[in-house]
Amino acid sequence: MTCSSIDLKAYVLGELPETERGLVAGHVRECASCGEELERLNLTHLALVSLRDEEAPRRIAFVSDKVFEPRWWRRIWQSGPAMGFASAAVLACAILAHGVLTQGMTRPAAVDTAAVERRVSAEVNERLNAAVAQAVNKAVSDAEATRKQESAALLADAEQKYEFQRRADLAEVAANLDIIRKEQARMFMASTGLEMRAQ
Amino acid sequence: MIFREVEDRDLIAKARRGDVDAYSILVSRWEKRIFNYLLRLVGNREEAMDLSQDVFLKAWQNLKKLEDAGRFSSWLFRIAHNEAFSLLRKNRPEVELSGDPTVADRAPRLFPVELTLAVQGALTRLSDDQREAILLKVYQGFKFEEMAEILGCPVSTIKSRVYAALDLLKDTLAPVGARGVQ
Repeated sequence: MTCSSIDLKAYVLGELPETERGLVAGHVRECASCGEELERLNLTHLALVSLRDEEAPRRIAFVSDKVFEPRWWRRIWQSGPAMGFASAAVLACAILAHGVLTQGMTRPAAVDTAAVERRVSAEVNERLNAAVAQAVNKAVSDAEATRKQESAALLADAEQKYEFQRRADLAEVAANLDIIRKEQARMFMASTGLEMRAQ
Repeated sequence: MIFREVEDRDLIAKARRGDVDAYSILVSRWEKRIFNYLLRLVGNREEAMDLSQDVFLKAWQNLKKLEDAGRFSSWLFRIAHNEAFSLLRKNRPEVELSGDPTVADRAPRLFPVELTLAVQGALTRLSDDQREAILLKVYQGFKFEEMAEILGCPVSTIKSRVYAALDLLKDTLAPVGARGVQ
């Protein structure tokens, strides 16, 4: 076997049958240049096979998940973000159902999340405004009642004082009139002489 | 390996009758090899993942056209080859696929080991055809005849590609391999 007749690359790549492999091995032991070439090819092959396979970043999502991955409820339960999303979805559904049942509206053909959000927001604002207005009205009415009560008390007190003063004034006027009337009678008796006769 | 081949045949037969679970097992067995073949061919992890997805979807859709279940691996790699080269042609339509020197520049370095980096770099400096020939021969262990079937080329063309690639790799990797394997 000559150097030109042997296929060292096929030998390294395992493409030669056993009979030819033996012939090549015998030739390489006797031929230095072919031996060196075989050594370089072997080193190249060794370097190539040192490259390890990588794991795929995720499973093929066609149908393999059905067999090898946990069931859907377990995946959701074990996943924090998915669980949060599911909770938000359930909450959104509850709000939507509440809105439909309480308002007697016909359910839309497709759920418009933005419309639901706007409606919920409007309803919340409406209820909030109503509660604030009610609280303000109650506070105002309470203040007015208190003020009226205080005014009434002050008025009643003032009227009582005024009545008392009026009666005192009347009594004083009556007393003064009585003194004047007696003084006039005395002066009249003195002037007419009846006074002496009476004494 | 014999049991594995028998089981693959059985799974393929079930999958051809519409058994999705059987095909799922087949996918789980072959996805890593297909992914790594595509990853080293296109040099991008996300693209390789998307291509793998497409490969197994097309395989499922065309499984009834597979005449011999014993040739499933060749048939599957044939689909992967077609998908990969469709992408490579789409990404670089103006460039001849063979002898493209820019592949080395855009391919990611996957492992922080000198020998591995050297191998990765050397592979990316090959043309797409040469690199694919090395991938199928060295990493997937196909015979020249099987590679000819996968790639739709004569065996002589396959040998020519593999040997030319080995000559190029030898200049780069033989010195590195000598250091790396000591």
